[in-house]
Amino acid sequence: MIRTGIAGIDEMLGSGIPRGTRVLYSMEPGVDGRLFMMSTLEAALSMGRRCLVVVPTSTSGAFKCELLEVKGLSLESRKDSVTIIDIASRDDINRREKGIRNRRTAWKTLLREIVERDRIEVIFAYFDLLYEDLGLEAALEALSLPEITTVVENLNLEGEDLITRFSSAGMFDMIISMRSGFSLVPIFSFFTIEHVAWAEIPRRSIPYISEDHHLRLYIPKIIVTGPPSSGKSTFVANASDRGISVDRGDLDGFRTTVAMDLGWLHFKGFDITIYGTPGQPRFDPIIPQLVKHAMGIILVIDSTRPDTLDRARELLELAFAARLPLVVVANKSDLPHEMNEQQIRMNLKLREDVPVFFMSATKRSDVHFVVESMVDRITRHSF
Amino acid sequence: MYAYKTGISHIDDQKGGLEAGTNILILAPALSRGEQLGYALTKPLPGEYSVILSTSMRSAELLEFFSGNGINRDFIGIIDTVTKLSTPEITDSMQVKYVASPSDLTGVGIKFSSLMESIFNGDFRGSEEGLFPPPVRFYLDSVTTMLMYRKLEVLYQFLHVLTSKLKKMDGLGIYILNSESFDERTISLMKQLMNVVIEVKSEPHGDFFRIRGIKGASQEWMQFHVSEGTLEVRI
Repeated sequence: MIRTGIAGIDEMLGSGIPRGTRVLYSMEPGVDGRLFMMSTLEAALSMGRRCLVVVPTSTSGAFKCELLEVKGLSLESRKDSVTIIDIASRDDINRREKGIRNRRTAWKTLLREIVERDRIEVIFAYFDLLYEDLGLEAALEALSLPEITTVVENLNLEGEDLITRFSSAGMFDMIISMRSGFSLVPIFSFFTIEHVAWAEIPRRSIPYISEDHHLRLYIPKIIVTGPPSSGKSTFVANASDRGISVDRGDLDGFRTTVAMDLGWLHFKGFDITIYGTPGQPRFDPIIPQLVKHAMGIILVIDSTRPDTLDRARELLELAFAARLPLVVVANKSDLPHEMNEQQIRMNLKLREDVPVFFMSATKRSDVHFVVESMVDRITRHSF
Repeated sequence: MYAYKTGISHIDDQKGGLEAGTNILILAPALSRGEQLGYALTKPLPGEYSVILSTSMRSAELLEFFSGNGINRDFIGIIDTVTKLSTPEITDSMQVKYVASPSDLTGVGIKFSSLMESIFNGDFRGSEEGLFPPPVRFYLDSVTTMLMYRKLEVLYQFLHVLTSKLKKMDGLGIYILNSESFDERTISLMKQLMNVVIEVKSEPHGDFFRIRGIKGASQEWMQFHVSEGTLEVRI
């Protein structure tokens, strides 16, 4: 068993990658997902596994430098644990063997010899050139050796069809694909756990960024909205590790948010930014701008004030909540209140899948429970 | 929509330039001036950027070439697939990105995205607020070398992604292919990805090109010369 080395994925998998299985990291062109396989390589090495890296597009020197640059992982001190097959071996095979059959045999023989000689436990292969040289099945067959775990990175030029084919034909035991949320340039990248043979994990898509040699799961914007004085600022403050609030005294003596609340938190492996909108109608024109690129909406209502539900409905429309993951918080439920879930659902015309949580935004544990539910919804949503 | 000036008067004067989103294939025989024609078309005009994917020249040589020809390097990004083969420890800068070899399409794609992101974010030296999306000329020098490393079908799929991205971002794509080294099928497949084809021929008395794919523009052979990175066309 080895870990993927990626915070968040290891937690979801629970037990890691079982021995002898085949893992695919599939990358869309232009998406930087190099850290996925590099993280798994680092995890395998740190667990004392002996690894073979097959990198037919690069010299071993260039690969080591890239590994150091991208992952911060030096192989110098681990020379005994890593063997590298590089561009020179590929050139040698292609020069010696003219026919595809002979090349397949030559690759198989080479891999078997090295696996036996160096007592290899995990093979890491940059796959697309092997796929091109040998054909899909033969390339996979060459890499499949008894009891050896195989981790493969592939540049996917064939789109969804290839993932479906890999998945349905059982060619890999785990498939994680990396794609880009493209407008003109990649605004964010996300990975999808497409298939796991040894565990029941729903298909999930999760945004990520590569930073300081690590992958960070990333939710760039969750919006917290709701009628005035419903407790949005308290919610944002208690959800966040740090944040800022732009509150001013209102004419009636209450404090009100005049621009937005902003909070940041690191939660269950995710870096999350939370934006709280103002609730007063005079700020309505800025709300569509605030919700741009949001990945989820948390609507906070005051469970002691049924008269504010109309305003809550207006805000849901302004925030385009119909097309995003939505969670409703019936706040101040520790105070005497008459509203029940049915009433809220009916008034707000909520979809069946939208949960309604009765809670108090002053309790950090309640707030974190809601954030957890929101993260779960975002990772299951198809954007 | 933005129009890219070419230095070819019957395109610039009659058409206002090449439409944003155009992809051009230069078909040129070996030892012709096709490659220089490509660089002349790639030269960024004020307010524009260029990205060059080099499979035969090191970025250091390219930067020297630009300086020698009075081309402002501040607005040029380079994906260098050559240097890392001999100098593996070299690391990326803001405007020069290195890929292990021309066969590493994963690396090429990542570095292309990274340079485009820097241009869009205004990170290049000397960037000023300008048009959005910023006009970018992209030059692949050359498809010929890429085809020595990867199969035609694979490169076709990869270039399909690249040409589509340039179309979406209103860029200008320029790709050079040696017309003598490949069969009809290869050339025909590559043409399918392009809107415009420029054919180049070398004669004892000079180099000529003709342009196909621009409605209403002349398809006659025209003599050309590239001087200090600037295209001169004799009509």
